[in-house]
Amino acid sequence: MTALLGYVVVLGGLLVAAVWLVRRSERRLGAGPDAHAAPTQLGTDVTAEITPYLDRMTGELALPAADVAEVRAELADHLQDSIASLEAEGLDRDSAIREALGRLGPAAELGRQLRMAHQSTRRLLAGVGGGVFAGGGGFVLGYLGGIMLALFAALALALATPPLAAVGLRLPDITSGDHSGNAVNSIFLAVATAIAAGAATRYAVRTSASLSRRTPRSVAAFWAVGGGLGFGWWAIFGMRGAQSWPSVAIELCVPVVAAVAAFARIERSMPHVGRWALVVGLVAVVGSGLVFAVAGSVSSSVINTIGQQPDLHLDSVAPAAPTAWLPEDANFGGGWGSDWSSGGTQVSLELDPNLGAPAIAAILANWREVRFEAWHALPMDMPGLLAGIEEAWHALPMDMPGLLAGIDTRYSSPIEVQPASFSGTSFEAVFHLERFRDSGSWWIVLTAVGPDGHRYRLESGMGGDARFNGSAWDWLTAPQ
Amino acid sequence: MAGRIKGQLLKGTTTLLVLSVLREGELYGYEIAQRIRDKSGGAFIPSEGSLYPALHSLEAAGALDASWRESDRGPRRRYYKITKGGLGMLEEHATEWAVFSQGMARAVGGADR
Repeated sequence: MTALLGYVVVLGGLLVAAVWLVRRSERRLGAGPDAHAAPTQLGTDVTAEITPYLDRMTGELALPAADVAEVRAELADHLQDSIASLEAEGLDRDSAIREALGRLGPAAELGRQLRMAHQSTRRLLAGVGGGVFAGGGGFVLGYLGGIMLALFAALALALATPPLAAVGLRLPDITSGDHSGNAVNSIFLAVATAIAAGAATRYAVRTSASLSRRTPRSVAAFWAVGGGLGFGWWAIFGMRGAQSWPSVAIELCVPVVAAVAAFARIERSMPHVGRWALVVGLVAVVGSGLVFAVAGSVSSSVINTIGQQPDLHLDSVAPAAPTAWLPEDANFGGGWGSDWSSGGTQVSLELDPNLGAPAIAAILANWREVRFEAWHALPMDMPGLLAGIEEAWHALPMDMPGLLAGIDTRYSSPIEVQPASFSGTSFEAVFHLERFRDSGSWWIVLTAVGPDGHRYRLESGMGGDARFNGSAWDWLTAPQ
Repeated sequence: MAGRIKGQLLKGTTTLLVLSVLREGELYGYEIAQRIRDKSGGAFIPSEGSLYPALHSLEAAGALDASWRESDRGPRRRYYKITKGGLGMLEEHATEWAVFSQGMARAVGGADR
């Protein structure tokens, strides 16, 4: 609960502070107050005569729009004062204008000097820091907006599917074989990440431009490279989950989205984030925190073990070991276990604790190359009430496996083979079935080579479900 | 004007001159130039082309605050006001200037002897 509170406080605070910072920046990057845009009128109007000078000067400024307007208005006022004063001293209008402009010096040089005065190192550092901060807030806002957008898209697809099916048009089933919805979640999160990366880069560009007193376009390249590399690395190598081709494709687009967002129409103001949008965002932060906390506590309590079935087609893996080569009292009655905490699936087959040391020694002496083999398994067809229960299970945000009907005989080779190490009273190995794109349902069997040189099945095994869990890069480089 | 300081000598003194006139109150750009000229009896006429970059640099450094408001003569002007940091900077520059000018006076006086 404390962690959740910390999560809400940190993200909520970041969100509010970033929105405040961006709003402040938008005022500077905007056109500025109209009153500053044009010179004030004093005495005779000399706007037409001084405008070309001011245009040349502002051409060298390369400052945010509000700063340009202010500098321009200030110098226009100065010229008005100066010309009026010179006219009062007896100069004619043309001479007064020439003298006033001459006192200010070459327009381009003045523009350069003013630009250097505004773009100090301190402001540059503030721009980088503020950009990173605003980028963080933009990411949170974009992520929440992206999740909402993805949910709306899912809703629209769900509503559109029946009428499309009625006219014979079927949408591709991206949820096929994804009972727990993790692959769909990955697509949602990939979409949200892409939108968040774009929003973050855009926020960073606009804020850093304002704080460092530069035009957004002049700082865009920095943030395009930084955002593209940072978010790209994270999306492709760092974001782990149940991937699918759509989610991987979207994640590969994240660096492009981040870079394009830094440039595309970057001079345009950011959408105004109002008070209600902020409240909705904060509620979404709190709500998503609660959902993740509850879902995490539920899924971590589930044990993924399945009982054995009568006909498992295990002979397609290897024939059962002849009893003659096993001690009379040898059995593997200690049972199977699996542990997911090691990052993979750690399987262990514990021998009957009543077996004495001589019996264990006899097993190890007769059998060599003892190994676990993970094979594709068939989900069990469950009619009636059982199917309803399974469906209800899968509707929950839990990691619940389906019941299995044994080895899938369409496959002629195992998914993964691991040598079994003997430790104390059990054989152990760690499988990484989550690194395979289509491991799905699996069945693990213990086999070994007997005294006749043939491989036999020592034990019937255990089954479960695995789903891919890794980054987009892991998906692209995963074994089939 | 025989008593007018040449441009090269004025270089580097703009900051000191600007801060010293703003110590007396808020002024806008044109007024600052006028006030420097008036106070120095016409000896110092800062280049208007260097005045505004100096004002904006001082503002960026936090020595000055600037705000737009109506002037005594009516139109809106950008007024500059010295800050606490600006007063410290003025004191520092004034000390440096005193050391420099005394040193120069001694050196030039010594050359005369």
